[in-house]
Amino acid sequence: MLFILEDTINGILMGSIYGLTALGLTLIFGVLKVINFAHGSLLMVGMYAAYWAVTLSGAHPYLTLILVIPVMYLFGYYLQDIVIKPIFKAEREVREPITVIIVTTGVWYVLDNLTLLIFGPHYRTIQENPLRGKMLEFGGMLISVPKLWGFFAAVLTAAAVYVFLQKTRMGRAIRATSLDREAASLMGIKQFKIYNIAFGIGTATAGIAAVTLIPFYNVFPTVGVLFDIKGFIIVVLGGLGSIGGAILGGMIIGVIESVGPQFMAATWTEGIVYGLFLLFLFVKPSGLFGVRYDW
Amino acid sequence: MTGKNLEKAFLALVLMVVFGLPLILRSPTYLHILVLLYLYAYLTTSWNLVGGFAGVLPLGHAAFFGIGAYTSTVLYVQYGVSPWFGMVLGGVIASITGIMIGLPTFKMRGAYFALATIAFGEGMRVMVENIDHLGPLNINGPRGLQIPPLNVGLANLMFINKEPYYYIILVMLIAVLALTYVISRSRLGYYLNAGGEEPEAAMSLGVNVARCKLMAMAMSSFLTALAGSFYAQFSLFIHPKSVISLDLSFEIAFIALIGGRGSIVGPVLGALLLRPVSDFSRIYFGATLPGLHLIIFGTVLILVMIYLPRGLQQPLTRAYQRILNRLAQSPR
Repeated sequence: MLFILEDTINGILMGSIYGLTALGLTLIFGVLKVINFAHGSLLMVGMYAAYWAVTLSGAHPYLTLILVIPVMYLFGYYLQDIVIKPIFKAEREVREPITVIIVTTGVWYVLDNLTLLIFGPHYRTIQENPLRGKMLEFGGMLISVPKLWGFFAAVLTAAAVYVFLQKTRMGRAIRATSLDREAASLMGIKQFKIYNIAFGIGTATAGIAAVTLIPFYNVFPTVGVLFDIKGFIIVVLGGLGSIGGAILGGMIIGVIESVGPQFMAATWTEGIVYGLFLLFLFVKPSGLFGVRYDW
Repeated sequence: MTGKNLEKAFLALVLMVVFGLPLILRSPTYLHILVLLYLYAYLTTSWNLVGGFAGVLPLGHAAFFGIGAYTSTVLYVQYGVSPWFGMVLGGVIASITGIMIGLPTFKMRGAYFALATIAFGEGMRVMVENIDHLGPLNINGPRGLQIPPLNVGLANLMFINKEPYYYIILVMLIAVLALTYVISRSRLGYYLNAGGEEPEAAMSLGVNVARCKLMAMAMSSFLTALAGSFYAQFSLFIHPKSVISLDLSFEIAFIALIGGRGSIVGPVLGALLLRPVSDFSRIYFGATLPGLHLIIFGTVLILVMIYLPRGLQQPLTRAYQRILNRLAQSPR
């Protein structure tokens, strides 16, 4: 029985990191009403940024947060401002513009393949990694230390974003825009500035996820695709737009992925995840904690 | 000459060129590229029935392509059934699957529909990758299926030269374009258009939007599966990652979108302009600049969506009309 408990714990830890990667996706959807297909690519950009910061400076991987968070925030801010805003302006009256999905997919293609062009297809791992393969022994179970830190990072980031949205003036403005952008505009809130900021924060959380991933995960140009599809599943499971739902949805996926192989071929767990996703889409598309939403 | 006659003359010229091309172009490499180009034009045109006319964004069409490829291949390899029959059967299975997917998902809007179709396509791939035997049928999991190139001939849809493939896919493409033309001028076409643009308004006028979308989905998945069987017979080797890949689903959708969704020529124009870009950049820069064609793809996609939401066909058809008018008016 112990190994199932061990798998469950490791699944929850890894799952919370999945949740962290999807946090930005759900935040951006909550405000812009757009599924950002490029989110995995943004995570990939964050991973490369963290990888190079560690490799060039020799600093502790987690120290790169100081650099990665602001860089990713600005990246997301200007990506929305330059590439995505024009579409919103063209399709002002549409509540959930499909065209934006297509544009973000274009961004995905460009980012992934530019990275391939510049850095090549190699899998990279950070050398001189103080956290490599580190395990914590706990009552006969082995628990990965970098994943444990990732769990704390996920919970802390989610809590910080939640408090920011609930308690600060800017957070209130973001929530107001998310609820009704016309009414918010009438109150003097600059809609597109809010969009830029929300996109920036979402991208910054992807940066945090990237930093927690690099001590134990390979960096390569298409790494984002793995997290992209997983992210969609997580946010629908947890409820699009819900911060806590993203973390919980991530944990569910993580547990299925780590406990599942005890009972079936490991490749089947992926099928279970897609099945669960379709089931949720058909039965309860608003997810576990989703806000009621007009279909 | 009047404008209408000029248009007919132009169409006849295009047909003459495409039918005569293999007589001039003897190189199997170029014929191969052209077959794939027509195949993509066919796929994007079939996709357009749902993605263009019905105004939703399906991103899982590779699943139907895979159903077609696997149905005809399994039947042919194991039981020696002619691929022509497998093709039609695959189409029917895909069509039923399409309706089953459409029933719950057409209620959803925008992003949810796109996500559901992605999950459906990927789920299908995972299933095929994990199943070696489906009852008595051997689908060989992740290793894929090979079609032994014996008994070449029209009855088995298998040829040594590329020319027969060229003419078959060309006829298929012309047929699907004709079908699209007929639909776009039929009651169904108008209903679909209305339902895609303003679902509430269309419903209030008594249009059964969901049923129209389901019909479009059934046709689109049927046609896509036919192409899957054709591809299996053309390449003689299929495996889950090649025929049910997410990349294929995305490529179909994005070529159609760049060309111009909802128009008849748009998807074909998209394939005509983008397939050569990807083929030639892979031939000439594949080793030195990997992924170049996808960077071009992505950039064109972004620019087209921002500046030409109706696709590249918009300025091109306008220019074509202008030339036609100029020619029709010129005194002779």
